[in-house]
Amino acid sequence: MTVRSDTSASSRPLLAALPRVPAISPLVAVLVAILLILIVPPAIFLLRISLHETMPDGSLGPFTLRFYESLFTGRFFLPSLYNTMIYSLGSAVIAIVIGTVQALIVERTNTPGRNLAFFAAILSLGVPHILYTVAWLLLLGRSGPLNDLIAFVTQQPQAINVYSMWGMILIEGIGFVPLTFLLMSAVFRSMDASFEEAAIVAGASPLRAFWEVTLGMGVPAICALAMLIFIRTFESFEVPALVGLAGNINVLTTTIYQSARRTGAPNYGESGAYSICLILIVTVLLIWQNNLARNAHRYQTITGKGFRPRIVDLGPWRYLSAALLLLLFLFVTVIPAAILVFTSFLPFYEGVNLESFGRMSLDNYVILFGPGSFRDSIVNTLILGAATATIVVPFTALCAWLVVRQVKGAVLLDHLTMLPLVFPAIILGVAFLNIFVNMPLPLYGTLLSIIIASSVRYLSYGMRYAYAGALQIQPDLEGQAAVSGASGASVFRRIVLPLLAPTLINAWLLVFLLSVQAVSLPLLLVGPGSEVMAVTLFELWQNGQVTELASMGVLWMLLMTAVSAVFHLMTRRHQMNV
Amino acid sequence: MSLRCCKVPVCHGFTGVAFLLALFAVSTASAQDILTSRAANREQLILDGARKEGKVVLYSAAIVNQAQRPLAQAFMKKYPFVKMSFWRGDTEEIIAKISAEMRANNLVADLVEGTGVGELAIEAKFAQPYFSPMVEAMPERYRDARNQWTSTRISYFSIAYNTRLVPPDQVPKTYDDLLDPRWRGKLAWRIGTSSGTPLFLTTIRLARGEAKARDYFQKLAAQKVINFGAGSARTLVDRVIAGEFPIALNIFAHHPLISRAKGAPVNSQLMDPVASTAGTMIIPKGVRNPHAALLLADFILSKEGQQILAEADYFPVRPDIPPKDVLASVIPARAGVPELFISSDQLNEYTDSSAKIFDEMFR
Repeated sequence: MTVRSDTSASSRPLLAALPRVPAISPLVAVLVAILLILIVPPAIFLLRISLHETMPDGSLGPFTLRFYESLFTGRFFLPSLYNTMIYSLGSAVIAIVIGTVQALIVERTNTPGRNLAFFAAILSLGVPHILYTVAWLLLLGRSGPLNDLIAFVTQQPQAINVYSMWGMILIEGIGFVPLTFLLMSAVFRSMDASFEEAAIVAGASPLRAFWEVTLGMGVPAICALAMLIFIRTFESFEVPALVGLAGNINVLTTTIYQSARRTGAPNYGESGAYSICLILIVTVLLIWQNNLARNAHRYQTITGKGFRPRIVDLGPWRYLSAALLLLLFLFVTVIPAAILVFTSFLPFYEGVNLESFGRMSLDNYVILFGPGSFRDSIVNTLILGAATATIVVPFTALCAWLVVRQVKGAVLLDHLTMLPLVFPAIILGVAFLNIFVNMPLPLYGTLLSIIIASSVRYLSYGMRYAYAGALQIQPDLEGQAAVSGASGASVFRRIVLPLLAPTLINAWLLVFLLSVQAVSLPLLLVGPGSEVMAVTLFELWQNGQVTELASMGVLWMLLMTAVSAVFHLMTRRHQMNV
Repeated sequence: MSLRCCKVPVCHGFTGVAFLLALFAVSTASAQDILTSRAANREQLILDGARKEGKVVLYSAAIVNQAQRPLAQAFMKKYPFVKMSFWRGDTEEIIAKISAEMRANNLVADLVEGTGVGELAIEAKFAQPYFSPMVEAMPERYRDARNQWTSTRISYFSIAYNTRLVPPDQVPKTYDDLLDPRWRGKLAWRIGTSSGTPLFLTTIRLARGEAKARDYFQKLAAQKVINFGAGSARTLVDRVIAGEFPIALNIFAHHPLISRAKGAPVNSQLMDPVASTAGTMIIPKGVRNPHAALLLADFILSKEGQQILAEADYFPVRPDIPPKDVLASVIPARAGVPELFISSDQLNEYTDSSAKIFDEMFR
């Protein structure tokens, strides 16, 4: 503990002697302006549809507060809110506990085969969310292999009811494990081992040193992550719809969905009102988090010294931790992927049984490689993912650094980049549709328009990642560079960016993988000729059979794994040099 | 366009503008005329106009691989001078997109097709009336007297059941059979779309009258029907095949047959009356390529176009084009079960109130 406060105290006067991080406020102003241009139009759209009736032709009618009223007074509101809280908290806890444990084992121990965990995480991030949920339902469903197994052993049919709250929490929570793992491993990787060593020298047991120092220093990152997952689950739709509704468990998103899509013409008023309320809640959470970050210097671990993390030799216990990793690998990646692969060879899915093996064929794959569907949209999809990630990551890195350094006005950057997270994707899609279609520039229906919308959508993910990373960089390095005459720009480029690199590389890949699988957002924005794969996949889900969907999912997984592997190989050398 | 106008020398500006205005007036007038034209030389006028327009855009809810792409290929083979492109969305998305385009005066779609599109045309006043001589081959009930829409394909609705979970002697044959206590908690239906629960409720209301229907709904509500909220009717049938739900209500009657032909443990059971609806097609107001839109509309409604839809497992609206043999058993007339065709006007009239009944009794 004393070690920590000493370091920060010594850096203080040095920083104070400098002009508070060089030439910043105008920069913040420019960034805020860019964000406002991107975010305000959809936000205004959201506010307007929440306050007006939507007419049959899609135009806005007279002013009304009825959507807010029905949100709070509807008989579904309170039970849904209660369910939502349990569901969101439960999922966040599962994701963070499992992801953190996994990251610790991988980053801080000599467990054999630990590097495979990255591969596993990337592989599961490559599975589009909707497919992932379907895979879990195939597995845990009433006719799934697990229920069959239990029935075989105990003679009790359909013992597991996955259409329940625990089913929702389990599926959603495990779905976020790869994300928490990647983020937490970036945090642990950039954590200076000397603090822990100091604690041990001072007499703490290694376990206590780890608990109080390592986990303690990870708190802000964990909070940032918890908030991301909490908000994301709060507005999640796939799992509540596929799992919850079938068990008659309503959360807020499914309640609103039922109100908005009862009849032909969609009415987004209520979901608009819901999003506005969410924005208010998130703003409160952000203010709370900023207070936490005010003491950020307590968590800064990256200094001018070497910061390789300490690897703990687990001795024989390392086989136990390896078994744990293997178990996670099985549950998070292999089993859902295996059931998809299995299904992809079938003409229809009716559980895992011997007869099914006799029916296996490549028919679903033949359909995929026919004209259209897969081939046409690959290039568009790769461009979309790469462009979105390349726009989002450097931009949010800069924003996050300014926020962490508490540059004047930078708090605004934090708030603005978080806003898109609470826009439900379908609303953001409708908003951008209305913006682009009204623009004098011929953007409507182009790939560029999808890239812009998708960059806005994933700003928050980039920001959370970069924020967690930037939080750990001590300002003295930058101070020293500034003293030596470096400009603000070169401090950022030559000191901050390289130090943030491991985090940013993961962020790039994450944004890439998320943006290529988004469906609701590009659905309305694509025009003839600008198709992307996720939309094609969605169409298969809508019209095709689950088996064709599975075969496309398998191809998708292979493609995303290939992209990630190439990316990993290309950046590995770079990471070594950091 | 307006940028190019600026290049007109100033002294010619006025005459230029006047000329453009006149041209505009002529072109819109002729667009109106051609859309409703029944002239002898209609076909030639459309061909000439489409040749000049050179392109046409279809927004449709039909499946891309089996329907839209083959349609486009066949259309462009027949009319190589018109480039056809298409976009697929669900009716809800089509509505969102087309309404945004219309309000922004930036219309991309020339022809819009899908289940529910006709109701939209009536409610939102989106449609520009048009005439296609092809409709004369269609039964009267599938035609609109005001020419706002044409029908493209027919859908029949039934229940789907898992043949392993529902023994042959227990298969519900009537709507009242669904009230048997043994099906409590085992029936599923699709929410979140007008062709799901609202259509089922509308069918019962039209068939039995409001009072008897309400009585039936009360009993049905006691069966705790499972609300299936994610995915299409096709997806729901897949869940029945997988054994998740023994019985699904109000699905497209032909979907189980397609899977059954592959050996899946599923079948459909028609009930008296069998609800049927038509997929409908409109030309939006302010259409950019009216001639090409008409050319494509004629093509989709022709024997050739309907044959392509039939091969994509749809039921053609033309009586002279039969559906696939494997699907024929769910055509009510052939099965000897009464059909209740629900028109776009009726759907427009009943859907909202049926959705309210669902909210009150089944949510």
